[in-house]
Amino acid sequence: MFQRTVEGVPLNFHLAGINNQNFLMRDEQTGTYWQQITGLAVAGPLAGHRLTLVAADELTFALWKSERPEGTVLNDVSRYVHDYAPEDWDVKMASTPTVISYAQAGLKPRDLMLGVRAFGASRAFPYAAVLKQKLIEDHVSGEPVLLVVGPDNLSVRVFRRRLPGSATPEFYRIPEAKEQSQSGVLLLDAQSGSRWNFHGCAIDGKFKGVCLEPLQVIKDYWFDWRNYNPQTTVYGIKQQIH
Amino acid sequence: MFRKSLLGLIGCLLLSFLLLAYPLYVLRPFRYQGPRELSAALAVMRLRPFLEVILVITALMFLIWVWRTTPRISRKIVALLCFLAVASCGVLSRVNVYELLFHPLDKPSFSPAPKTSLDGREQVIAINVNGAARAYPIRIISYHHLVNDVVGGVPIIATY
Repeated sequence: MFQRTVEGVPLNFHLAGINNQNFLMRDEQTGTYWQQITGLAVAGPLAGHRLTLVAADELTFALWKSERPEGTVLNDVSRYVHDYAPEDWDVKMASTPTVISYAQAGLKPRDLMLGVRAFGASRAFPYAAVLKQKLIEDHVSGEPVLLVVGPDNLSVRVFRRRLPGSATPEFYRIPEAKEQSQSGVLLLDAQSGSRWNFHGCAIDGKFKGVCLEPLQVIKDYWFDWRNYNPQTTVYGIKQQIH
Repeated sequence: MFRKSLLGLIGCLLLSFLLLAYPLYVLRPFRYQGPRELSAALAVMRLRPFLEVILVITALMFLIWVWRTTPRISRKIVALLCFLAVASCGVLSRVNVYELLFHPLDKPSFSPAPKTSLDGREQVIAINVNGAARAYPIRIISYHHLVNDVVGGVPIIATY
């Protein structure tokens, strides 16, 4: 997801090819070729430019609708409905061979990762581990971060774990409760006793109204993430990968 | 003279076929793309529309030459077929294979969230721009891959 205005001109993008199992796009205004996952112009008049990333969230329709009831949804195109991804497409994709591979203890090329690029570093979190733990307190380049799984048990949001006054809170996940599904309350921070929702905002207590700074997260296959983030570290794996 | 013209035509045909086939060969799925061949293939794709026009014009000149200098109908036909093959490569090089496969959403349409019949468990990828919220069901966008969209007045490209 990117803004598509470069130097004041809105560009129209087309699919144009494959580069190591990630799409290349071509804009019709300048004929520049762009890499889909990075938004980087790889050839043509705008080579070297990078599209501005738009933060995106992957979540269930029900959760999204509860958060943004006024939002709008892309419609099916009836002609192509039969070609759309079947329900088990991610299972099929998981066994599709890759053309590049980075050996890493316990990681397969098509393992889904949640990639965070922040504070001058990149760090990948195995999606399966995040779903299992539901709440992860970690660091990216020394900066405390928080990963939290949404009430749909599918979506994950990442926040910078800092509060006004530079305090680094520690969070606890509130056990499944009825009130949780209604108010979206997920977290409790130990110091202040504030309760926090999936937007990263405190709904009561000392920090009522305060929101944590959201960080952009990209869901990607391990081989693809590693290809474009060669310096990445991986949550749960001690050694640096180079 | 016929031989030289025919060689010229065959040269045009080989070149235009290479211009057509090389990027398809390099940029095809399930194949490792090295950085040098990738930039070569993209350079070919960028210069190709211009080069193909030159090749078609050159081939046409050879064809006219053969037509004027040879009385034999069989030679004229051979030259004509070569020219048509060059012209076909020129036309085919303008076809976007990926758009034939995945059908771009030229005019995406949207519905307000409460008015859709989507299953609540359906996964969407969602963005907020300038206070406007938009969701793309992954089932749909993982097929089309690209949607040129405007959200909250900002032109954006939704990709998956």
